[in-house]
This record gives sequence, C-alpha cells and structure tokens, in this order.
Amino acid sequence: MAGEEDNTKGPRKLDRRDMLMGLSTVPALGLFGYTWNKQRQHQQARAEAAAAPAAPADVQVINIALVGAGAQGQVLTDAMLRIPGLRFRAVCDIWTEYNQRRVVNTLKRYKHEPNAYEDYREMLDKEKELDAVLIATPDFWHERHTIDCLKAGKHVYCEKEMSNTLEGARNMVAAARETGKLLQIGHQRRSNPRYLHCYDKLLGEAKLLGRIVTVNGQWNRAVTPDLGAPDRYAIPAERLKKYGFKDMHQFRNWRWYKGLGGGPIVDLGSHQIDIYSWFLGANPSHVTASGGLLYYDPKNHEWYDTVMAVYDYETPQGPAKAYYQTQTTNGSQGYFENFMGDQGTLILSESELNYAGQLYRDPNAPAWDEWIQKGYISAPQVQEKPATGDSGAIADVRESVAPDRHTVPVALRDPYHQPHLQNFFDAVRGKAKLNCPSEVAYETAVAVLKVNEAIEAKTRLSFNAAEFKV
Amino acid sequence: MEDARLSRRALAAITVLRVVVGWHFLYEGIAKLTSPSWSAAGYLKQARGPFADLFRWLASQPNLLANADLITMWGLTLVGVFLMLGLFTRLASLAGIGLILLFYLCNPPLVGYFYSIPTEGSYLIVNKNLVELCALVVILVTGSGRFAGLDRLLHGVFARRPRLAAV
Repeated sequence: MAGEEDNTKGPRKLDRRDMLMGLSTVPALGLFGYTWNKQRQHQQARAEAAAAPAAPADVQVINIALVGAGAQGQVLTDAMLRIPGLRFRAVCDIWTEYNQRRVVNTLKRYKHEPNAYEDYREMLDKEKELDAVLIATPDFWHERHTIDCLKAGKHVYCEKEMSNTLEGARNMVAAARETGKLLQIGHQRRSNPRYLHCYDKLLGEAKLLGRIVTVNGQWNRAVTPDLGAPDRYAIPAERLKKYGFKDMHQFRNWRWYKGLGGGPIVDLGSHQIDIYSWFLGANPSHVTASGGLLYYDPKNHEWYDTVMAVYDYETPQGPAKAYYQTQTTNGSQGYFENFMGDQGTLILSESELNYAGQLYRDPNAPAWDEWIQKGYISAPQVQEKPATGDSGAIADVRESVAPDRHTVPVALRDPYHQPHLQNFFDAVRGKAKLNCPSEVAYETAVAVLKVNEAIEAKTRLSFNAAEFKV
Repeated sequence: MEDARLSRRALAAITVLRVVVGWHFLYEGIAKLTSPSWSAAGYLKQARGPFADLFRWLASQPNLLANADLITMWGLTLVGVFLMLGLFTRLASLAGIGLILLFYLCNPPLVGYFYSIPTEGSYLIVNKNLVELCALVVILVTGSGRFAGLDRLLHGVFARRPRLAAV
C-alpha cells in the first residue's frame, strides 16, 4: 500500500487517498446532526401539542406574573403552559442565579417573553398590564406578597399554606374583601374532577357511605436529604438577609424552619385535612396531637418530622373522629384519605396511580345498582374470597363479610394543579366561582395550624365556631 | 504502544464500531445538555455494589454533583464528536473508557444482584456498559483514527510515527 515505504521518516506530504480516508467519517457527524434535528422537531411538536392549544379568538387573554419560581412555581408553570389564553409577563424570584433563569428559559421556549425581577415591588410598579399574579413563595412571604398584589389591583392565586400565621391569613382574607379582587388558595384537590365527583355525586347525591363516622388518612414520605445548591449559584448573603433568610441552607430548606413554614403537617397534611372538613361538611371541634422531631438533625430542622393527630367533628349527620398522620421517614403506602361510613368506604388519593379511588359497599347497605347504571361508580369486582385459600388461615366467625369493591370512574389526565388553575382563570374571566376562596382556606389553616399548637401544649385543644370566621 | 497490523476489512469494521460508539456518546451527551434539569443524582443515588457509598456521597454534595454533571454532559458530548471524527482518537477512547468505567462501577451487575440499572435487560457481570467499554479498548489499541479519521491527516502532517496501514 502507498506510504508503506517512507512511513518512518519525518513528515510527508498527504496524498488524495489520505484526504479521503481522513475525512471519511465526517459525513457520519452530518447524518447525526440531521437525525438529531429531526428528533428535536419531533419533541418540540409533541411538547407544543401537549401545551396550550392556541386560544380561541373569543377567549380574553389574561396577563399573568409568577412570584416564586422554585419547585412549586415550576409545577404551576408547567400546568399553566397547558391552559389556553394566558400570557406570562413577568417572573419574580430572589434566586436570580438559578430558579428565575430556569423558569424564564422554560417560558421562552413556549414563546412567552416574561421580564425577570428580583423584587416583587419593582415588578408591580413596572408591569401595569398584569391581570393576575401567581404566588409560590415560602409561606412566611404569602401575606405580604398577596396583600400588596391585591392592593395593586391584581387577582391572586396563592399557594397553600395561605400563611404561616393565622393573623397573616386573616389579613389576606380582609385584603381580598377590601379590594374586591379574587383570591384563590392552592388547595388543588378542591378542583380535581375525581374529588368533585366524589363530593357532588357519591356523597352528595347518592350518599353511598351512609353516615361517615371515622376518617383516616396519611402522607408517608421517604427520608429526603436536605436540598443543596452549588456554591457558584449561591445567593449573596446580603440579599438572603434582605428577604429574611439566614443562609443558603435555610433558603433552600425553609419548610423545616419555624417562622418560615409549618413543617410536614402544614406542607402535606393541610391538603388532606382540607378534604376531611370539606367531605364531612363541618369544621373540627377538638384536636389531640402528638409529634416530634424524631429523625432529622435538630441543628437545621426545627419542625416536627412526624405528626399524628385526631380531630373530633360534629358533622350534620352526627359525631365523627378523624385520624391523620404524616411522617417523613418511610414512603410506603404513600398518601390517601379514607372515609368510612356505616354503608360504605371511600379511599381516595390525588395519586391515582397508587389509590385509584376504591369504594367498598357494606354487605348490609342498600344496593348500589342505580349508581352503577348511572355511571357514578364501576360495577363491583369479584368479591374477595374468604380467607381459607393457600394461606391456610381460617376466617373467624366474628369477622365481617368482605364487602363489594367498586372504583371511582373519573380520572384526571392533566397535571394535578391544572384544574384548580383553570378554575381561577375562569373566575378571572367571570365564568366561574372560585373553588377555594380565601375564606375556605382560612378554615383549613385554623384546623391545621392548631395541630402544631396541640403538640406543643401536650393536651387536647378545642375550637370554637367563631374561630373559623374572619 | 505498538500498532497492530490489521487487514483493511478489519480496520474498516473497527471504524464503523468507532463511529457508532461515538454516535451513542454524542447523543447521550447532547440529550443531557439539552434537558433543562438533567442531573446524575438519580443514577448516583441508585448506586449498588462495593462503591455504592462513594457514589451516594457524591450525590449528596451539591458542588461535587454540579461538577460531576458538567463533566458527564460535556465529556460524553466531546468524546462522541472526537470518536466520530477520528480526531484525538486515543485520548477520546481513554476518556470514554474512564466515563463508562464510572457508570459501570456505580451499578455493576454482580452475582446476587437480581436486578440492576439499566433495567432493560438481564445481566451478569457483563452489561452493555462493559461491552461498550471493551469496544473502546479495541478502538484505543488499534488507533482507528489513523486509518480513517482526522488523525490520519494530523499524523500525516506532524507525526514521525508510522501511519497505520493495511498490510
């Protein structure tokens, strides 16, 4: 082969063959570029199809801003990108180095052109066209952010917990009334079609459960390490201080700190205790609770990582008791709410994957045929076999007969927060009533924040009915 | 390293191998670079085997993790480009071997592990990571870039070492 002879001596001239062989694999890179481009177009088309369809001409476009672009702000943004008729005008977050940039970049990919702000007051001064503001900041900022936005004439969707103090929550309700602007709080199950179906049809119309006497529910979450942040994205100390954080660790893990958040019972429990009161049609009369910081390092965790609470209710149908637990050291069995009446049981969860909405009819209850025919519930699955099978266990005569098992046939195929956001924007357009106005969320805040008080007081605390009103 | 003398057909086959391995690296890198929130943390946290603690510790250090993410994303991308072009082939092969070795050690399908990550197949000791690693060893020792690749031009111009040629 050419070149064999002189290949041990110094540089030599390249011939045509060398050029051809040398460049022979370059076209592969071109082919890669071509297929990659095709792949990107495919992904983009899919993302756009999943995202908001073009708003029909008669839909009034709502100009919105997001305040708080952390994990929850991102969740809301992803859901809002699927709702037609919204225009993002601004994104505000004090973590300009990271979170703010991430959400702005996401929005730009969907052809929004939001302005970025660190200070929400500057945003309110400059963005005169805003119709509504979405607030997903740490709990201790909700009061200030919400009230200032309402007073600037904006409708507000504020994440739960509406405030870390009841005084703050009361001020928010008062500001909404005073300004006449809408204030929706982010208890998103209130707009979830499955929960609405259960409330309106199964409990309201069909009264499938009979009289609900006990409720239990939980949110079990596996051990989660603290959130960190690379040093090069750290927020300068003076900015952290200006916004009420002592350091980057506290900024990232504010949920664990007293005075900033409310701990797992508030972060997780408040969603579900909200459902207890909603479905029972009453606010609790008493609460007993035990909790503690059993597992996480008390140096940088202040709130209880484990809480178990029992509420007493005086419902329109009679007294009821409701147990709730949240723990953050084991995630098995996840989260659900379980309503147990004298005629049936309903296990419901936002996580349809784990709890597909099971219903059990007590063998002594009236037949549910009518509701199956109406499509309110599924036909029963085969009755569970008596426990005499392979296990060799023998059912004791005292055991109840296994009840029929049905499922709730309504599914949510959108992100969890989308229907609740849609409800808010429908209300902004004057086409709907808010599913969780601030007065309703205030009642939940009263019920939930009292748990932390009861743990501290080590005693059973009572509510008086006036407490739930602003 | 003494170059092996291989037939033209063998060298062509190794070139194809180099291009497809490069393609895989490049797409793995680019897919991570263009994903807004990709991080190695998920993979590291699933670590198993003798080095599991080390990888999990790495996942828990935000600064180290950020660097590991950057090295992985850009490392895969650049190794991919260089392998496809046959440029700095030996360096790229070595870097690729280093990266894959880390992926392999993070989740080795050792005896007694009835599942491991990736989960799409059945593996005992040898998984696709190890196969790709061995492919890179072949590319490394045969200096495939000097048969068909930009290394051929580079060596033609600068090197005093013999070009690799078919016998």
